[in-house]
Amino acid sequence: MTRDFRARQIWTIARLELRRVFFSKRSFWVYGLALFPVAIFVAAAIGMTYERRSYEAVNRVSPALINSVNEGESVEAVLERLGTPVRDREFRRRHRGEDDESEELLVIRNLRYWDGSRFAELRFRNGILEAKFIRQLISLERQRQAYNGVFHYYYLKLAIFFGCLGIFMNLFRGEMLDKTLHFWLLAPARREVLLGGKYLAGLLASSVIFGAGAALMFAAMVWPVDPLEARAFLAGPAAAQWARYAGAAMLACLGYGSAFLAAGLLVRNPIVPAVVLLMWESINGFLPAVLQKISVLHYVQSVCPMPAPMDDGAPALVRLFLAPAPGTAWPLAVLGLCALTAAVLFVAARAVKRLEINYGGD
Amino acid sequence: MSAPEIVFDEVSKFYGEVLGVNRVTLRIPPGITSLVGPNGSGKTTLMNLLTGLVHPDRGSITVRGFSPRDPERLMRITGYATQYDAAPRGATGFDFVCTSLLLWGYDSRAARTRAAEALERVGLTEAAGRKVAAYSKGMRQRVRLAQAIAHDPEVLVLDEPLNGLDPVVRAETIALFRDFAARGRHVVLSSHVLQEVDVISDQVILIANGMVVAEGRIRNVRDEIDERPSQFLIRCSGASRVASLLFGRDHVSEIKMVDGREGLLVMTRDREQFAAALNEIALAGHTIESVLPADENVDALYEYLIGGQR
Repeated sequence: MTRDFRARQIWTIARLELRRVFFSKRSFWVYGLALFPVAIFVAAAIGMTYERRSYEAVNRVSPALINSVNEGESVEAVLERLGTPVRDREFRRRHRGEDDESEELLVIRNLRYWDGSRFAELRFRNGILEAKFIRQLISLERQRQAYNGVFHYYYLKLAIFFGCLGIFMNLFRGEMLDKTLHFWLLAPARREVLLGGKYLAGLLASSVIFGAGAALMFAAMVWPVDPLEARAFLAGPAAAQWARYAGAAMLACLGYGSAFLAAGLLVRNPIVPAVVLLMWESINGFLPAVLQKISVLHYVQSVCPMPAPMDDGAPALVRLFLAPAPGTAWPLAVLGLCALTAAVLFVAARAVKRLEINYGGD
Repeated sequence: MSAPEIVFDEVSKFYGEVLGVNRVTLRIPPGITSLVGPNGSGKTTLMNLLTGLVHPDRGSITVRGFSPRDPERLMRITGYATQYDAAPRGATGFDFVCTSLLLWGYDSRAARTRAAEALERVGLTEAAGRKVAAYSKGMRQRVRLAQAIAHDPEVLVLDEPLNGLDPVVRAETIALFRDFAARGRHVVLSSHVLQEVDVISDQVILIANGMVVAEGRIRNVRDEIDERPSQFLIRCSGASRVASLLFGRDHVSEIKMVDGREGLLVMTRDREQFAAALNEIALAGHTIESVLPADENVDALYEYLIGGQR
C-alpha cells in the first residue's frame, strides 16, 4: 500500500466522519458552547445601538457644553444651557445629621446628557451639582478588553475544552456505545490510518465551529463601535489580532483534541480525564517550568495577542488558578504544541492498535 | 500468492477472567465451514479473532497467509457480516454498503455500481434508499451480507447469517454461499439451524465451552465417535425376518421397528461388518429397498458431543 493510498483513506474516513460530527445530535451542545458568547456580544451590541439611537432621538449636545458643566452649578442653570437631558431621574431620601438627632430631606436628581459618543451623568443634591461622571457609551478599547477576557476565561478554558471533550471522546467511545465501531475496524485500513482520519474529522469540525465562533465574536465585538474608530481598527491591527485569536482557538482544538482522542481510547468514563486535565490546566501557572510545557493552555495563551486580564483586587485563590503561566514566543508556542500533540497521538496510535470490540463491556 | 487456508494455532482468548476460546488449533480449507455450538460456546469469538476485531492472548492466526493484526491486507480479501445489528446513524442501505466500498479504495462511481450489484444479489434493490434503522431483522441481515460480499472477498465470515430470513431468501442466500465455495473461497458461518448446517456445510467445527470438540467432514467426525453405535434406517419387505437375521450378529447392539413394521432402525458398532451382513441377507433373497445413515448429521453429532451441555 502506498503512502498516497493511505492518505486518501485518511481523507475518506475524515469525510465520512465529518457529516456525523457536524450533524449528530451529540454535537449540538458544542454549537451552543461556541456561539453562546457570540450571542452575548450581539445582544450587548444591539442594546448599545438601541441606547444610542434613543439618546439621539431626544437631544444631542456638543462635547464642549458637557465639558463646561462644573460642580456647584444649579440644576436650572444646567437645564437652561444644555437643554433637555436624555434621561432625568429624581428621588428623595431622608438623611440623618451628624448629631444623629436632626434629619434632613434630600432631593437627588440625576441628569444624563449625550454628545454623540460619550454620556455625562450629572448628580444634583438639593438642586446643586454634586458630581459629574463622563463615560464613553462604546469604546473599542473596552470592547477589546471584554473580548480578550471572554476568550481567555470562557472560550479557551471552558468552551473549547468541553467542546473538544464532546467531539473527540465520541470518535471512538461514542461508536463503541452505538455498537458501530466494528464497521470501521473491518475496513482494509491500518488502525493508525483510522485514527488519523477520525482525528482529522474532529479537528476540522472543532476548528470550524470554534474558529468561526471566535471570528463571529470578534465581528460582534467591533459592530457597535463608532464607525470611524472601527474602520481605523479594521484597516490596522484587526486582521492580525483576529487571525491570532482564531489561530489560538484552532490550536486549542489541536491540543485538546489529541488529548481527548487518546483518553477516549484509554478510559471508559469521560469525566475522569476531563477533571484531571482541567485540574492540570488550571494549576499550570504555578507548576515548575518543565511541567508547564506539558499543557495546551500554556502554548495557546502565548499565541493570543493579549495576555489574560487579571484584576489586581481578585482573591489570592482565584489569582492562583487563573493567572496565566509566563508566555513563550508564539512561533515556539506553535511548535511546542505540535510536538505535544504528536506525542499524545503516538500514545493514541499504540492504544488503537490494541483496541478490541467488546460492546458487552460498555 | 497467499496460502488458501485459515489456520488457528493454539489460540486462546480470555475476556478478563471469562474464557472466550481455549487452545484452539484448526486448519480450515476452502469451502463452506460451519461453526456449531451452544450460546456462549465461543463461535463469535472465533470469528472476531479471525477478522481481528479481538486479538488472541496466546497463539497465532493466519487467514490465507495474512495476520488479523494486519487489517490493511486481511480485510481486502475478507468480508464479515457480524451479528451486530447497528449501522452508522442515519445510513440508508445503499449508503451503508457504498461507504464501506469507499473505505476499500473504490472511487465513488465504482463504489456506487458495486453497492447496487451487491444489494441486488441479496434482493434489497427496492429498499436500498430506506434507512437501515427502519429495516426488519431479515433486511438488516441481508444488508450486512451485501456489505460483506460487495468487494468480492476470498474469505466470507458470517455470524448467524440465516437468522430472520424467509424460506425463499434463505434458499437464495445458501445458493450464494455455494457459489462462493465453488470458486475455491472460504465461507465460514455460524448457525443454530442444524438441519441447514447439515445441508450446506462441507465441514463442521463443533465448539463447546470455548474448545473445539470436533472438526472435519460430518461423516469423518461421526466415524471418530466410537462410544456411540452408528444408526442406520433400513427399508425392506419382511422387516421382522431381517431384524431376526441381524440380531444374531455381535456388532448389532439394538434394533427398533419403525414406520409400521416396514422399516428398521439398527444400531451397530462396526459399519463394515454391518455392510457385509446386509449383503448376505440380500443375497439370501430378502428385498432391501434402502439403507440410510440415521446419525450422520450435525444434529446427531451435536447431541453426541455437546448434547449434555446444551
